[in-house]
Amino acid sequence: MLKIEDLHVEVDGKPILKGINMDIAAGEVHAIMGPNGSGKSTLAYVLAGRDGYEVTRGRVLYRGEDLLSMSPEERAGEGVFLGFQYPVAIPGVSNIYFLKAALNAVRKHRGQDPLDAIEFMKLSREKANLVQLPDELTKRSVNDGFSGGEKKRNEIFQMAMLEPSFAVLDETDSGLDIDALKTVADGVNALRSPERAMLVITHYQRLLDHIVPDVVHVLIDGQIVRTGDKDLALQLEKEGYTEVRDAMVP
Amino acid sequence: MTESPPTTLLESVPHSFVAGPEWLRALRNRAAASLQDLGLPNKKTEAWRFTSVRSIADATFHRRPASIDLVPTTPAGLEVRSLREVLRNDPESLEGRLGGGAEAPFFAALNTALFEDGVWVHVPAGARVDRPLRIIHPSAPSSEASVRYPRVLVTAEEGSELTLIEVYAGKDPQQLSNGVVEVDLSPNSRVHHIRIHEDPGMQIARVSVSQAASSVYRSTVLTLGGSLLRLDIHARLRGQGAECQLNGAYLVDGQDHVDHHTLVEHESSHCQSHQTYRGIAAERGTAVFDGIVVVHRDAQKTEAHQENRNLLLSDTATVHTKPHLEIDADDVICSHGATVGSLDEDQLFYLRARGIPEDVGRAVLTNAFLQEIMEGVGDEATRLEMKEAVLDRIPHGDAVRGIS
Repeated sequence: MLKIEDLHVEVDGKPILKGINMDIAAGEVHAIMGPNGSGKSTLAYVLAGRDGYEVTRGRVLYRGEDLLSMSPEERAGEGVFLGFQYPVAIPGVSNIYFLKAALNAVRKHRGQDPLDAIEFMKLSREKANLVQLPDELTKRSVNDGFSGGEKKRNEIFQMAMLEPSFAVLDETDSGLDIDALKTVADGVNALRSPERAMLVITHYQRLLDHIVPDVVHVLIDGQIVRTGDKDLALQLEKEGYTEVRDAMVP
Repeated sequence: MTESPPTTLLESVPHSFVAGPEWLRALRNRAAASLQDLGLPNKKTEAWRFTSVRSIADATFHRRPASIDLVPTTPAGLEVRSLREVLRNDPESLEGRLGGGAEAPFFAALNTALFEDGVWVHVPAGARVDRPLRIIHPSAPSSEASVRYPRVLVTAEEGSELTLIEVYAGKDPQQLSNGVVEVDLSPNSRVHHIRIHEDPGMQIARVSVSQAASSVYRSTVLTLGGSLLRLDIHARLRGQGAECQLNGAYLVDGQDHVDHHTLVEHESSHCQSHQTYRGIAAERGTAVFDGIVVVHRDAQKTEAHQENRNLLLSDTATVHTKPHLEIDADDVICSHGATVGSLDEDQLFYLRARGIPEDVGRAVLTNAFLQEIMEGVGDEATRLEMKEAVLDRIPHGDAVRGIS
């Protein structure tokens, strides 16, 4: 599904990612763990196509095609989804209007007809239930005045609506209490499927108790220093990033 | 009617006025005399620093009657009369009401000297008019440069309520409209005054508001470009507990030049004023906002807020913004602020990351920037009309409409 090859990325001339390799197959959930500043969010933004990140070497193939040459909206149309760490508020644009615009833009890209108002409302009610997003929040301006937990639930709600093939979830657990974390994780788990791959970025292991990954990568200083199964996350939790990194030094 | 040759604005003012009641002749004579003293504003006139009227000063115009359409019918409870008719039949009822705000600056004085007709909207005491009154000021269907002098007087008696919608329409950039609206609010009256400027021509207008105790004046202005537009709103909070809300949205593109000035004078205690103006400047358009809040010495317990935010959509567009406060009282809460910025890149990326094409995303955000102003309009048909008018103006507005 997604193949990252020797990816080097600079921000303002400063190297952030220094040769990332990753191969994520359909149906798999990969987790990236790493300390602050290791380059986790940079990787998420590069995959989604944000400006300001210069790829100096390497490539990313998404279903065999060059992902990095696509605009952000093309990527979304092709089924790439980024769940933001800090979803931005957009006063004056209602959440539901925004989502309808997004869904129909994505459907258009996929050669599907736009949903009419009734079909759309039915679908959005069903998906909002998945993350227990109150109806009232869907009518408010995008993320405007939402609590941290509501913003994250809104991200997963959008993911459920857009049905991506490949989703990057950037610190979806940050700022959540344990109940909200469980709700969000349940929403994500409901979206796991053999056709869909996910890359879950997190600082802490606790999210991975709820979203159990197939593969865990440890990202430190722009490089993946270890790759393992879900037990690697537990080891990290116990020993800390420093130990795991030092253990790597030959 | 035989057509007289076109003249400059100053040449068109007669030496003396012979028609109409004596008080009006005196008013016109004073206005005409002040014109000579004031002279047309120029670059050195502080209030006109960013807006040049040289092209108007030197040009010649045909005078056209200021026609006014009242649509569709006058709501019950309102008295709406033509100024010409009242001045002919019972002129004394307007004495002291029309032209009450003396010492007018140049263009308002010019209107006072030369207006021929207009509308008097009278809301009797206690009348609550639930339907808005709509007045359309069309421009003359003329291919020649012409000038008209629309005049509106609103008198809201004690405890009355009115929503007034004025639409300044037109098609021709050569037409000049020089209008004056006077709004007099008695104690406990409420007026919501909506102005929609959709005239590509030249418009100079002044709104003078006088507020008695506990009255509420709300103004919502939507300016959709204009080759030269200047609007001055002057609100005087004269009685205790009066409240004034001035909101506005403006869009400029092409070679548009629009200039909004507000002056709110807190003359009495316990009054509130709130101002929110939002603007979008694209292509080679220029927008000016200048807002002054004056808090007089005795106006304790004043609350005054003023905000002007602008979105610059091109390198060649210009925005001048200058909100300021002059405070002579000590027990007041005041704030003011102004911003000029471009579209928020984080917001744009968020939309694009969800599949919304970049140009549509820009249109969505541009449109959203002005929404708050329109949300303050209670009458749904008018609110939708204003939103549609904005979508007509912004780049890719159709795409926004298509997905809404």
